[in-house]
Amino acid sequence: MQLQKAMSYNPRGDFLVETAQMVSGLLLVLFLWAHMLFVASIWLGQGSFNALAGFMDRYGLLPLTIVFLVLVFGTHVGAVLRRMPRQYAEQRVVWKHAKLIHHGDTWSWVFQSITGSAIIVLAVVHIAIVSFAGINVHLSSLRVANPGFLVFYIVLLLLSEYHASVGLYRILVKWGFVNRYSMKRVLNVVSVLFIVVGGVSLWILYSLGA
Amino acid sequence: MAGRELTFRIMRYNPETPEVKPHLQDFKLFEEPGMTLFVVLNKIREEQDSSLRFDFVCRASICGSCGMLVNGRPTLACRTLTKDLPDVTTLLPLPVFKLLGDLSVDTGTWFREMSIRTESWVHDDSEFDPTKQEERMDNEEALKIYEAERCIECGCCIGGCATANIRPGFIGAAGINRVARFMVDPRDKRTEQEYFEVVGSEDGVFGCIGLMACDDNCPVGVPLRGQIAYVRRKMASAGWKMKVGR
Ligand code: SF4
Ligand code: SF4
Ligand code: FES
Repeated sequence: MQLQKAMSYNPRGDFLVETAQMVSGLLLVLFLWAHMLFVASIWLGQGSFNALAGFMDRYGLLPLTIVFLVLVFGTHVGAVLRRMPRQYAEQRVVWKHAKLIHHGDTWSWVFQSITGSAIIVLAVVHIAIVSFAGINVHLSSLRVANPGFLVFYIVLLLLSEYHASVGLYRILVKWGFVNRYSMKRVLNVVSVLFIVVGGVSLWILYSLGA
Repeated sequence: MAGRELTFRIMRYNPETPEVKPHLQDFKLFEEPGMTLFVVLNKIREEQDSSLRFDFVCRASICGSCGMLVNGRPTLACRTLTKDLPDVTTLLPLPVFKLLGDLSVDTGTWFREMSIRTESWVHDDSEFDPTKQEERMDNEEALKIYEAERCIECGCCIGGCATANIRPGFIGAAGINRVARFMVDPRDKRTEQEYFEVVGSEDGVFGCIGLMACDDNCPVGVPLRGQIAYVRRKMASAGWKMKVGR
């Protein structure tokens, strides 16, 4: 071992980062699902959506959520970055490798880093807008009625559901809790469900705004 | 019966003549009943190009020397039947390992290094008493050890692993399986903490990103997914306790 390595040696370092990645990932998945359900309150009518938003506002849940997101999102990005082959040379190796070995799961890793990077940008924009503008039906529907924003939200919805589903699958596979193939199927169904839920919410908001 | 005409696109490269860039060369021959890639490659070497390099020893999925990428999939050439192949097949050497030439790679050095790093021997400091009866092992445990020992060190799980391709120190599924083998062995007296030093890092089990190319490709069907998960859980518990201990 080199001197510097010996001096900065922390045997648990990798374990902790791995745990941080997993826990933050799980929290984000849960958040995403809760988020989709909250937005789906629009299904019940404008009143319930506004009531929920008002409730969150009154009890300071909104800033709390944002703090939570900044922390968890930051942790996740930080922990995951080590995994993403960063250097150009490594990127090329992974890309070549995925093309070479024709293996579905290996491709999903490539997509995972692409969707992840895209989500960083999109989610930050989304969070910034929401935290500055606030949440109510009027604002949201006007925004969604704008074709640019509509596309933005659809892309964000699809990317985050995909990323969450693959990430969750990967965690379960790595720890070996459930059968791989049946689990993949379950997760696919769950993600499609949430995409539908989110899509319908978007559609309702869109028709309100238009 | 005249078989199909098969085309084999084989990678040619000789590290001694690096000026000749790696390239694919086509060889054609007619399929015969029960033909394996072992037969194909030997035929090509005998009849078409005597300089073609590849490895075989047992030609029966025992020695693990014939691992290569068959249409991209890491597998044993000797157990690949041509009847399962399309008309055109690409053969490439296994990635990660040192390329000796054409389809031949040096898996031995890699596996020896892995054995040393994972300290693949039974650790026991107790005094040996030759007069004592041998300790008995639970049949269940013996079977688990046997399952892990079925690994023939072919390197398919290493060549197919994205992590191993970008992280030279990564011990891969074969390495993790090796550690699992000693973990279940009651004769090995290593503690969880000692194992943690060996595999509780990014070069060990926490480097695995769970793509399961290893599990999908192991030609002898070592249950790699289960082995990796087993070691991961053990190491997570060791890592967790370490915090409490300090
Ligand atoms: S599951 Fe882990 S060891 Fe197996 S191929 Fe994937 S990264 Fe490599
Ligand atoms: S675990 Fe399977 S694929 Fe890996 S070296 Fe052993 S036999 Fe080959
Ligand atoms: S030649 Fe021994 S495994 Fe193929």
